[in-house]
Amino acid sequence: MNPYVLSILLISLGLGTTLTFMSSHWLLAWMGLEINTLAIIPLMAQKHHPRAVEATTKYFLIQATAAAMILFAASTNAWICGQWDINQMSHPLTSAMTMTALALKIGLAPLHLWLPEVLQGITLTTGLILSTWQKLAPLALIIQTANNTHPFLLTTLALCSTLVGGWGGLNQTQLRKILAYSSIAHLGWMILVSQMAPQMTIIALITYIVMTTAAFLMLNNINSTKIITLASAWTKAPALTALTCLVLLSLGGLPPLTGFMPKWLIIQELANQGLAATATIIALTALLSLYFYLRLTHALTLTLSPQITNATTPWRTPNKQPTLALSLFTIMATCLLPITPTIFTLMT
Amino acid sequence: MTPTHFSFTTAFILGLMGVAFHRTHLLSALLCLEGMMLSLFIALSVWSFQMGVTNFTPAPMMLLAFSACEASAGLALLVATARTHGTDRLQNLNLLQC
Repeated sequence: MNPYVLSILLISLGLGTTLTFMSSHWLLAWMGLEINTLAIIPLMAQKHHPRAVEATTKYFLIQATAAAMILFAASTNAWICGQWDINQMSHPLTSAMTMTALALKIGLAPLHLWLPEVLQGITLTTGLILSTWQKLAPLALIIQTANNTHPFLLTTLALCSTLVGGWGGLNQTQLRKILAYSSIAHLGWMILVSQMAPQMTIIALITYIVMTTAAFLMLNNINSTKIITLASAWTKAPALTALTCLVLLSLGGLPPLTGFMPKWLIIQELANQGLAATATIIALTALLSLYFYLRLTHALTLTLSPQITNATTPWRTPNKQPTLALSLFTIMATCLLPITPTIFTLMT
Repeated sequence: MTPTHFSFTTAFILGLMGVAFHRTHLLSALLCLEGMMLSLFIALSVWSFQMGVTNFTPAPMMLLAFSACEASAGLALLVATARTHGTDRLQNLNLLQC
């Protein structure tokens, strides 16, 4: 792609998210979401193969419908209450409709079916943008509207997401689909506490972005999109393969790694609010996700690829890809747990 | 609920149900999206007219501009889909499910 066009598209992506962040009026927030959608469409369709075009078409239909629903809910609220402010969407019908539309936009569980297919059709770099940067603007709106939403809707969406995210990933062999289901499960954790403790949602979002970025950059570095190609990853980058296991287990939320932090804080918050049943269910559904991360780890470390490598092992040849971001995000995805008090104090 | 409110709500919900349930052609989905956007245009313009909010009068125009951009992106995707899949039927968009 032409660098000028690429820079314009990336700047538009930043502009859309920033516009949604700083707006208090629903129309401006809607414009930010639309700019975001329109800017990522050429990035998704830049490879002219049928799968990319299909993924782009599905993404476009879903995002356009969700954005129209958000604006419809906002204008209905304006007709009923005469109020366009995001914080003061007080009518229960319109706030429920907004939350449903935002859930459709980021792919929460009953409305999640587009996300694995879209992520499967695009490149890993665009998938990274789609599963991190594109979630920011809708999540900002969710945090602002969660106060006026019925808690039952939020809890249902969250528990469905963690359950479906864990369950759907079990049967997949494609890494991008597994990452899509992992994204659904993590978003469920974020939505669950968005009403009682929005700062926990932000902490969970930051750690999720760090871990997912590390995972996508690693997969991009060893250039693998299926589980079977993971088995020969050690021939390309042995040290990176060892670290990939840690990043994947961090995504699963095992204790000495960063991914444990949001789960710990969220379960603590739920226990403080007296929601023991919800905390138990969400902790148990995390086990489903952990199973497929463990499967990936098993494929990375303990299995041997059926192909025989005749040539000298590829790790002897120098790798020309830039690794600064990869190393930074890997360290953050594995070693941030000890500074949990600092992050917690910064956020609250 | 005033008659205006009722009419644009009905128009929007009909368009939404068209997108959700009438899944044969991509073009009909795009037309339904455009119908949703036009009902929103009516909602915004009549709202600013009835409430007498003169500050809000440019908003329907901005909505129309954005929906035009969105419709053009949708038509471009329609052309791309017709080139890669040979048709615009939504049943043929099944390469990614597994």
